[in-house]
Amino acid sequence: MSHEVIRHLLDDYVTGDLADDARAPVADHVAGCEICRAEVEDLRRILAKAAELPKSVDPPPEAWQSIRASIEREKIAVAERGERVASWWQRPSVVAAAVLLAVVLSSAGTALYMDRGDSAAAGSPVPTATTAATPATLAAFTVEENNYLRNVAVLQDMLDQQEASLAPETVAQLKVSLRTIDEAILEARLALARDPANQTLIEMLSGNYKQKVDLLRRTTELTRGS
Amino acid sequence: MKTSAVVSDTIGPHPSTIGEENAAALESVRRAQAGDVDAFEALYRQHSGRIYALCLRLKAGDSTDATELMQDVFIRAWRRISTFRGDSAFGSWLHRLAVNTMLENARGERRRIARVLPMDDTSRLEGAARSSGVDLRMDMEEAVASLPQGARLAFVLHDVEGYQHQEIATQLGVSVGTIKAQLHRARRLLRERLER
Repeated sequence: MSHEVIRHLLDDYVTGDLADDARAPVADHVAGCEICRAEVEDLRRILAKAAELPKSVDPPPEAWQSIRASIEREKIAVAERGERVASWWQRPSVVAAAVLLAVVLSSAGTALYMDRGDSAAAGSPVPTATTAATPATLAAFTVEENNYLRNVAVLQDMLDQQEASLAPETVAQLKVSLRTIDEAILEARLALARDPANQTLIEMLSGNYKQKVDLLRRTTELTRGS
Repeated sequence: MKTSAVVSDTIGPHPSTIGEENAAALESVRRAQAGDVDAFEALYRQHSGRIYALCLRLKAGDSTDATELMQDVFIRAWRRISTFRGDSAFGSWLHRLAVNTMLENARGERRRIARVLPMDDTSRLEGAARSSGVDLRMDMEEAVASLPQGARLAFVLHDVEGYQHQEIATQLGVSVGTIKAQLHRARRLLRERLER
């Protein structure tokens, strides 16, 4: 090995990171080369100085007060957020939606019962994905949609509290993914508004919601595991 | 002494030089996990010197930046203390958190620096450091503080704190070769500056 090649190996030689088969030729060269020997000595001196640096330095005395104030503020914020989550079910809009849902379910349940009776009597085929959705399918989807929305709200809130424990890249990726899913949900929702009886659109929308819940759930699990 | 940890998404663990966990410390951890801020303060008193020393070096000796970083580390530690399971000493866990926090900040800083000058051209940073008064005879601490950011990061984590090339490379998202090159450069610059 030439002098120039060996000079590039001196760091690993000094720190002991050099492979065994390269160690002997480098040692031989260093023994006979004044420049490399001086460099090895300097490197050893630098490493020794690094090892001597103090491992502990007293922080400014006021630093803790600022940390404590932040912690206390966070505790209050978390408590308030907890109260908001607890009162989620008591919001007027949620109560109104629940009442409306109960009415829809009741009507849909009746319609389903009657539909099944009619179908069984007439021997009608099971509707395919492209056939018009029955009121029962819409009602089932309404229940499903509300379940997803509830899960999303709870998971999103948990995630908001734990966001600080995730790497910024993960949070950024999560936001991009959620935005993509939300756009897909919006598109399917708009399409369903134009064609409310389309079973395929319902399935697509249901799949989008499921994807969102899965993503949020996996991310909250990530915060627990980190 | 170098660490022998399997490389993961977090750096470390830190060498066991931080110290053994005693029963009182474990009790403080348990109480802090239950939300006791006084217990967390006891942990702060025990570990802040070590964490502050690390922050100070990573922030080039700037005590304001170092204090901010240390505060960030302890606030994160409070948020995440429920995830500490005692698999390692609390001091090691905290140290790892400090390094990760700093590296996250460093990635942001690196992006900011990249907007004003190419990453592989740090000669201007070195020139700026020289012109700002570091061409006097330095002690080791000053010399480390005067290093360009990449070289300083590699040197502090590897030569002062004892992390392995691979761990640092993984966490910074660069190759082992890049870390070795930064170390090589850091040591040569230190040699040059300490000789003046």
